[in-house]
Amino acid sequence: MLKFIKNNLDKVRDQFEEGGKFQRFYPLFEATDTILFSTDEKTNSGPHIRDSIDTKRVMILVVLTLIPLYIFGSINIGYQNAVSSNLERGIFGNFLFGLFQILPIIAVTFASGAFWEILFAIARKHTISEGFLVTCALIPLTLPPAIPLWQVAIATSFGIVIGKEIFGGVGMNIFNPALMARVFIFFTYPSNISGDKVWVAGPDGYSGATALSVPASQPGENAVSLLTEFAQFDFSWMNMFWGWIPGSIGESNKLLIILGAIFLSYIKIINWRVIVGAVLGLVGTALITNFFSPYSSNSMFTIPPHYHLVMGSFLFGIVFMATEPVTGCHTDKGRWYYGLIVGSLTVIIRSINPAYPEGVMLSILFANAFAGLIDWFVVQSNIKKRMARYAQ
Amino acid sequence: MADINIKKGHDIQISGKPELLVYPLQKSKTVAIKPSEFRGIKPKLLVKEGDEVKIGTPIFYHKSNPDLKFPSVGCGVVEKIQIGPRRSIEKIIIKLSDKENCENFKSYRLHEINTLSREDIVESFIAGCLFPFIRQRPFNKIPTKIEFPRDIFISGINTAPLSVDLDLALQRKQSQFQAGIFALNKLTDGNVHITYSEDTVSDTMLETKGAVHHTISGPHPAGNIGIQIHHIAPLNLKDIVWTLNAQDVVRIGTFFLTGELDVSNITTVVGPSIKKPAHYISRIGNEMTSIVHDNLQDENFRLISGDVLTGNTSSMEGHSNFYDTTITVIPENDEREFLGMLRLGSSTTRYSLTRAFFGSKSNGFDFSTSKNGSERYVVPINAWEDVLPMDIMPNPLYRAILVEDIEEMEQLGIIECDDEDFALCSFACPSKIDVGGTIRQGLDLMEKES
Repeated sequence: MLKFIKNNLDKVRDQFEEGGKFQRFYPLFEATDTILFSTDEKTNSGPHIRDSIDTKRVMILVVLTLIPLYIFGSINIGYQNAVSSNLERGIFGNFLFGLFQILPIIAVTFASGAFWEILFAIARKHTISEGFLVTCALIPLTLPPAIPLWQVAIATSFGIVIGKEIFGGVGMNIFNPALMARVFIFFTYPSNISGDKVWVAGPDGYSGATALSVPASQPGENAVSLLTEFAQFDFSWMNMFWGWIPGSIGESNKLLIILGAIFLSYIKIINWRVIVGAVLGLVGTALITNFFSPYSSNSMFTIPPHYHLVMGSFLFGIVFMATEPVTGCHTDKGRWYYGLIVGSLTVIIRSINPAYPEGVMLSILFANAFAGLIDWFVVQSNIKKRMARYAQ
Repeated sequence: MADINIKKGHDIQISGKPELLVYPLQKSKTVAIKPSEFRGIKPKLLVKEGDEVKIGTPIFYHKSNPDLKFPSVGCGVVEKIQIGPRRSIEKIIIKLSDKENCENFKSYRLHEINTLSREDIVESFIAGCLFPFIRQRPFNKIPTKIEFPRDIFISGINTAPLSVDLDLALQRKQSQFQAGIFALNKLTDGNVHITYSEDTVSDTMLETKGAVHHTISGPHPAGNIGIQIHHIAPLNLKDIVWTLNAQDVVRIGTFFLTGELDVSNITTVVGPSIKKPAHYISRIGNEMTSIVHDNLQDENFRLISGDVLTGNTSSMEGHSNFYDTTITVIPENDEREFLGMLRLGSSTTRYSLTRAFFGSKSNGFDFSTSKNGSERYVVPINAWEDVLPMDIMPNPLYRAILVEDIEEMEQLGIIECDDEDFALCSFACPSKIDVGGTIRQGLDLMEKES
């Protein structure tokens, strides 16, 4: 069977290579060929041997890390639906209900993502980049379960085309394409997704506040007591950590996100400095807002750091979005500053900005924009040290 | 005197490690010297096909400097002068006679060398064609005109994969090594620096006089001379330093003590495709067939003159390179694995500096020539930074080279770099980028502009 596939691929190979009938579609052939069978490319000069790692492996491991989030997300969608409709379905029933909610979203994301990736690969004659797998695997996780599918298609297209391809593809982009997709929906259809109403795949007209919008809408109170007293959902710290609250598909269970972060850092694919920097930035800024809370009627100022950590999609954002190697800082020192900016801006946007209760998405995009500048300063300090030595 | 402790880097655990014993090789029929491997040298021939030469007879010189002569590395008849594209001289092959003779020059006793003047030493270097054994930084090439260097650096430790154990190679060569150091000392107003492993037991190195001693520990590229210079006394703009292989210091010392050029080398013949990997007594420009003769165990292999990171592919009919003391043979790869990117991996199928596979760091991995992936844009996951023990930022430097920004390349320290120091970056790169090759491009560009 394997032989059969391989022989057939080899048989049509020359039609896709230069001078062949379908040479324009070579990127498509190359992608199919090398996804099915590892490449037989050989080293020519230089190092005659190479590490086993390649970008395919890097990307596929990130995608695999996201699978537990999809599973928990499905169960949670089912659970939230059951609660809102007063049903009792059991964990497996919840999972199936949720799965049928998210499968169409995944399918639409991958279909529209692949369409643009392939189109650009053929038009611009570059290889199909594995990076789009990660982008497309991330996008559904940032979306509410009840999102209209046409919005998913438009957002994915925007993320892939404007977020990535117009810069020249993976490795050249300035902003995280998955976040670009998310931010597109955020600003174009704010009524659906701005984050002050919960998203439940539930009965029509069912709605409620999110954890972040509870203190945001009631000035002059203590955020923790507002959350504990909130009747509709259980917004205790523990419950927000375990993720049995309504939200986007992949953001809710914090334990799975933390495990994912540990795994990806351990295998050296993401950089822990970004995550630690972001947490420090968040905690530091939250402590400052706490300090000033007696002088302000803004209840958001009273949210303690450990609540900030589990509220909204902060952890999901810093672990899977901010750590994206291309759009973040490229130097270790820079990664600290980059993380700090993401963390502290999140709290600032959450607390001070009246329009958007959630801030992590915007703060990551903002930090993306500054990543190059931060790196510039780090590189300049290296240069200055050397120039001082040269001048001696 | 410095104790350098290198943390970044990696010792690639490739199978076919050399035994710590020295074996003889069968005598070869020919030896060759390849003018094309000396960067920046424009050869002018001093011999023609059919001429008789001895070991040490000058056979060509550098066009703009007649004093920079290259020696014949064998005694016999010039069998063939291979001309390549644009009439470049590719290779001069010498058919060896049964009994080989050397050109004879003036010899000295060990203590006399120390009393010689710089002019005497230079004269001997010119007469004996010894300048080709010296390489100059920046740019890592033979000095084409004599500008006495700030310092001279000698690495007494090899860390490249499967390279020669210098403790072994320098055994019982103490007086020759010492003679070489004395001679080199006259050629610099600064110091001769020698760096060896903190675990070395070699008297040859430990008891050398007239040199500043340093020790170094840590993984490859700790043994690379560029890394050692960077940590001992980094190159500044307009600095020139010379570097030599330890075995070539012995060669120079032998020349002063005996008046004859010794062309032998202790060489490792190693790699997954070699039956009996060990140290062998080879010689400069030796025939590949006689080196790997009877020692191969794969059908489809790649023969490399040099180590797996920086060597050059050679054919069976080829000859080893002038400076190389490692001959590596690895299997060529033709296998394609079904859904390879999803495999868990094991210590026999995967080797990675990341932890993206199970058991991916075995002790003796059968590497093949597989690239293990296709070239992609840079995904900066610190793969380069983690194996470069220098205060150099590889990623910004790489970009400066791509856009040919000479000024920024200089600011980022390119003159301290050499492609061999970046070979591990290319090895580790998930996007399969040849970082070392790009560094070389940048250096060539710098050299052209300066």
